[in-house]
Amino acid sequence: MFEAFSNAFVKELQEIKNSYYKLFVLTLFPFVCFTLVIAIFYKGVAYDMPVVYVDQDKSELSRTLLFHMQSSPTIKLLQECTTPQEASKFLQESKAYAVVIIPKHFKRDVLLKKQPQVTVMLNTQYILVGKILKAALLDVIGVSSAQVDFVHNLATTSTPIEAMERIAPLKLYNVPFFNTTKNYFYFLVTALLPSIWQIFIVIATLISFGSLFKEKREKEFFSTSYLELQILGKMFPYTLAFMFWGVVYMYFIYGTMGWSFYGSWSVMFFGMFVCVIAYQAMALLFFVTGFDYARSLSLGAVYTAPAFAFLGVTFPIYSMNAFALFWRDLLPISKLMELQISQANYGAPVWLELDKIESMALFWIVFVPVFIRFRQRLHV
Amino acid sequence: MSFFQVLKAEAKLLFTDIAIVLTIFGGVILYSFLYPQPYIHESVSELPITVVDYDNTQKSRDIIFKLDATPQVDVVRHDASYKDALDALVANKIKAIMVVPAHLQRDITLGKSPTIALGVDNSYFLIYGGVLEGALKTVMTEAASIKVANLLKDKMPMVGAKKAFSAYSFKELPLFNADNSYTEYVVPAVFILILQQTLLIGMGILGGGINERLTCKQDGYYTKAKVWQMILSRTLLFGTIFFFHMLYYFGFSFEFFEINHLAHIGELLAFGVLFLAASLGLGIFLGAVFNAREIATPAVLFSSLPLVFSVGFIWPKEAMPEFIQQLAMFFPSTPAMEGFLKLNQMGADLSMIGKNSMILTLQVFIYTILGYYIMKKRQKGFYGKI
Repeated sequence: MFEAFSNAFVKELQEIKNSYYKLFVLTLFPFVCFTLVIAIFYKGVAYDMPVVYVDQDKSELSRTLLFHMQSSPTIKLLQECTTPQEASKFLQESKAYAVVIIPKHFKRDVLLKKQPQVTVMLNTQYILVGKILKAALLDVIGVSSAQVDFVHNLATTSTPIEAMERIAPLKLYNVPFFNTTKNYFYFLVTALLPSIWQIFIVIATLISFGSLFKEKREKEFFSTSYLELQILGKMFPYTLAFMFWGVVYMYFIYGTMGWSFYGSWSVMFFGMFVCVIAYQAMALLFFVTGFDYARSLSLGAVYTAPAFAFLGVTFPIYSMNAFALFWRDLLPISKLMELQISQANYGAPVWLELDKIESMALFWIVFVPVFIRFRQRLHV
Repeated sequence: MSFFQVLKAEAKLLFTDIAIVLTIFGGVILYSFLYPQPYIHESVSELPITVVDYDNTQKSRDIIFKLDATPQVDVVRHDASYKDALDALVANKIKAIMVVPAHLQRDITLGKSPTIALGVDNSYFLIYGGVLEGALKTVMTEAASIKVANLLKDKMPMVGAKKAFSAYSFKELPLFNADNSYTEYVVPAVFILILQQTLLIGMGILGGGINERLTCKQDGYYTKAKVWQMILSRTLLFGTIFFFHMLYYFGFSFEFFEINHLAHIGELLAFGVLFLAASLGLGIFLGAVFNAREIATPAVLFSSLPLVFSVGFIWPKEAMPEFIQQLAMFFPSTPAMEGFLKLNQMGADLSMIGKNSMILTLQVFIYTILGYYIMKKRQKGFYGKI
């Protein structure tokens, strides 16, 4: 019985050895895709985002404010513009992401306590850069305004401490948990690598079965006894290969990049194993719709390509509609992603993870129709 | 063979291939609905958080009530201790914890500037910013009203007090995507990639299938037709189909998902046709290169995620290695996304995206010519000796 499995396994290894295409899909291609994505986000933190400014006051106070902005690591003051219209061209051409406008009589109005406004035009089409810049600008303007307040308050209060307390009668102290430096490499790459990984699992499995049927060698490959085990055996080299890639990307993120992993590696890798098989089962389900190689690839593409958007890492699941949540449930990777975050960051106990692993294991049920269709097709 | 015969033969090949039809009709329509689904609510709202209220006074309850009233935050729990709150976080029931310190009300009255603590799960992209926005709004408003009250105590008139609570203030003027809609952020760019990728898959399957038959010495129209006839007929067929797809995406879909379209229709179409031409060129080229029907889908699929993220609308170009940007410029989607975003989302005009148009024009010629030579070689190979 075990031989049915191991024979198919060994035969498939031979097939991979004889085909550069299959070999590359298991080695070179994932390597290149992972490397590209890692390279894109490698810096992780956005520094020196270009900003242009219009200084209509040209006073000592306005220059101090601009100097404070220049010292922020996030902001790079690109150049001065004479009019807001000229400055907004920089936004349209994406040469700058924000325009700071300091109004006329800025200094005079501050001294007269008229609370002038520093206007910031932000290119919010680029939400991420917009958010990063808004936070940096709010910070600079808040701090420099408070410095002016402090001096004002010193005149009317008895101690510097009291002057400070007057500036902020109530304070908010905020800490980000886990990704404390707000690194975007961590946000995005930790989710992008699994998203690419699941595409490869489905496509590689389809290439394996699809090419066999296309070349009409299925009768030659499969014998009649224990067909199910032979199917699993043929699939298994890919399971191992993508477990390997899973371990590699996890090691890369949490080993070499130095992000902490608080949970249990065995729970994580067990979940990963369940997930790989779940995706392979789905791939076979696409394949048995017609045993057509090219068509099953199209179905696999529709299924795996948009997965990243549904993970909830970029756009939170709390703001998704019912259909998006439903589609998300059809993707095993969404559960694996939850497992990865809760193991790596929260170090959650095993019993809290069981439901995630269970829902991935539920996908194994599709082996039932897959096996039935294979039996019909091969007249076993 | 006459051109019309070639066109008919190619059309027959295209419309009888289920894999192609599935991708360039089914895929294009399905994606137009599926892809924007996660973002339909557009902005981040109702993030579940818990509050640990050690003060338990009128003031602290008032602040929590105001926090709950912000659109970003939903206070779903009240925990008696920080430990309970942490457990809820680990169990993934909440995304943030706000701790209101004891003696908050007393300290505010005494002018002692107490601190409210907020811890946010930063494993997810927009959650930290969302919760922080809600919390900051609440605390800042509260702080401002205390300041105004203090100034009133110092006998400053109400009108003056309202203005004098800080030296100067920050006024945000969001341009282009004013309500920070996530749909507006992602969908316009991704739609362009979808158009390119489905077109490439379609042309890749078609070309790859023909090449496969050429290698197997199977005779057909593709051995007799002139190469330019095949290129022209393929361009006409896919070009017409995708021109209508483009109208559907930029017209119906944008309208349906309430996405801005600031571009002048003529300019949008002109740039759109250029983008289509470049994609068709690349399609001809890939169709000539792929030696089997089944290579196009994987190849195009593997490139999708790296392509979206190398354009620089999600992660800024300034923070990306140069070689990635240069590599990405080989694909029509990169200059096209940049150009379309500027035209349609930021209201630029054609003169401002000259560089993007230039790259696309270059691509049209380079890919079509390369494709022509490879197709010619393949056709000769059929008649020549092996």
